[in-house]
Amino acid sequence: MIELKNISKSYRTDTIETLALQHMTMSVPSGEFLSIMGPSGCGKSTLLNIMGLIDEPTEGTMTLAGKEIAGYNGAQMARFRNEQLGFIFQSFHLINDLSVVDNVELPLLYRKVGGKERRRLALEALARVGLSNRAKHFPNQLSGGQKQRVAIARAIVGRPNIILADEPTGNLDSQMGDEIMEILLKLNSEIGTTIVMVTHDERMAKKTHRLVRLSDGERVS
Amino acid sequence: MITHLVRLMWNKRRANALILLEILLAFLVLFGVYAFGFYNLDRFSSPLGFSYENSVGLRLNLPEDMDSASTVSMQKRIRDEILLVSGVEQATFIGSINPFSGNMYFNGNDDNGYELRTQGFFADEHFAETMNLELREGRWFDETDVTSKYIPVLVNGALMDEFYPAANSLVDSILIIEGEKKIIGVVENFKYRSNFSENAPLTFFPTRSRDVTKYPFQMMIIRASSGRTAAIEEPIYNLVRDITKNTDVVIWNMADDRIKANKPVVVPLVVLTLISTFLLINIALGLFGVLFTQINRRRAEIGLRKAMGATPAQITTQFVLEVLLVATAALLLGVFFAVQVPILELTSIPAKFFYFGIVAAIITILLIVFLCASIPSRQAAGLQPADVLHED
Ligand SMILES: Nc1ncnc2c1ncn2[C@@H]1O[C@H](COP(=O)(O)OP(=O)(O)OP(=O)(O)O)[C@@H](O)[C@H]1O
Ligand SMILES: [Mg+2]
Repeated sequence: MIELKNISKSYRTDTIETLALQHMTMSVPSGEFLSIMGPSGCGKSTLLNIMGLIDEPTEGTMTLAGKEIAGYNGAQMARFRNEQLGFIFQSFHLINDLSVVDNVELPLLYRKVGGKERRRLALEALARVGLSNRAKHFPNQLSGGQKQRVAIARAIVGRPNIILADEPTGNLDSQMGDEIMEILLKLNSEIGTTIVMVTHDERMAKKTHRLVRLSDGERVS
Repeated sequence: MITHLVRLMWNKRRANALILLEILLAFLVLFGVYAFGFYNLDRFSSPLGFSYENSVGLRLNLPEDMDSASTVSMQKRIRDEILLVSGVEQATFIGSINPFSGNMYFNGNDDNGYELRTQGFFADEHFAETMNLELREGRWFDETDVTSKYIPVLVNGALMDEFYPAANSLVDSILIIEGEKKIIGVVENFKYRSNFSENAPLTFFPTRSRDVTKYPFQMMIIRASSGRTAAIEEPIYNLVRDITKNTDVVIWNMADDRIKANKPVVVPLVVLTLISTFLLINIALGLFGVLFTQINRRRAEIGLRKAMGATPAQITTQFVLEVLLVATAALLLGVFFAVQVPILELTSIPAKFFYFGIVAAIITILLIVFLCASIPSRQAAGLQPADVLHED
């Protein structure tokens, strides 16, 4: 369960103050697959980053799994991100100097998981996204769709309760986009992972439980 | 975490090769400077074994064609009159080797049942008192030696330790050197060449060991009371000139000569220290710059790792460890090269100084690398993931 109450976010650069989010209130129940749409620059990524504890709101309160975030320190937030959250980014953000399986292991590296167990879980996650045969490859040897599947494997390897996906299909052609969507839908229906996904694609949004539209940092539906 | 970083560094081996090479070079230079420095500091810290502070050296020219009796009596007269000069405490005649001059006399044979190799020093019976020599055992030359059966000699502690390590005493032993000689005492230390010279085996020969008419002792060391060293020079010069009827009399300050004698080591030591300090600063700055840009280029990776749950401390640790891993590889390589010097005995410097050098160089390098890595790493740890993931 994610709950946002009256969340605002403004960015201050020298003279200009950008209001990226204004008085956003919403809640995402556990097990929901929610999509967020809106024009470019309306604050979708900002919203997702705040939910994912990689950005801080200027105003408002957020509770994750029943706990208010405001009281968390850096290490506690890191721990929460590590154990409860999985991220998928539009531009994949794989580490090019690490092999596919090493990339997937990344979240486990920051838990007390032994090397062998890490490898086993990473290979299992890669199998889920159908990339077992690419474990030893490096990211620059993969197609865009494959990269995003690696990113999904990385997001699910730690069995998080929540996955935050920022335009996971934005850089992919429609067929690859559909494949990625299938994987996410399966995760949601089979394991019950809560998923919040930003998308520009109405077709994708239709497959999710609920759609929230933003405009200029405000919720319009 | 370590295996993860080893794989990461291995995958980036080409980018790391330059850093590795730089650290290797710094290590090798430091190793050499430390080994050379430690060796010479060790030399320097071992005692000279004599006092020079208030002494002057003197070279005179005795008139030629004198018989032995008149030579001896002129030497005695010169010494007696010098002792009367106000401020003079002691005086001694020595042979052609004088302290801090760089002159050396070597002798050796294998007639003693081992291969004897010793330096020789020639001095009269007043030498020990003038120089404040410390005797391990026995006594210095005196008048009784003039008529004794064997020509007496003294040896230094280094000769005793090297060739007679098991002996309790050498007094009254026969040493075959230029014929049979009797050892009458052992001088603890006598590093007459410089503070940095080896404490090598040495034998003292008395006046009697040389033909007085052919090779009369024509150098002296004169000890003044404290602060009078400069004042005694002129009266001594005058009286020696008058007795020998020869103006070719040279007087020098032994303290000045000691500084000159140390220069061949002190100068390179200072130059090497300056060069290596400069080199280290350069390498540190270079390393700092490289790490700074490298870490900056990896902002997205840092943001990502934080998003995946890395704490700021884990980010700092990661980057410091990465550099330490590369440094460790460089140091392993460097140690491999460095140990060849003592193993192959490429120099006469004892092996232990090279091992000290290796350890000190490793510590210095790790310290520098750690400092150079921790500042950019700390900065990296403070990055906001949302900001850096947003950038590309
Ligand atoms: N780090 C930042 N510094 C300053 N302004 C920012 C920063 N991040 C976002 N903004 C601004 O906040 C607003 C919302 O940005 P955000 O990235 O959330 O938009 P978005 O809806 O994700 O857009 P897109 O669909 O193009 O990804 C924009 O006007 C953007 O310029
Ligand atoms: Mg966005």
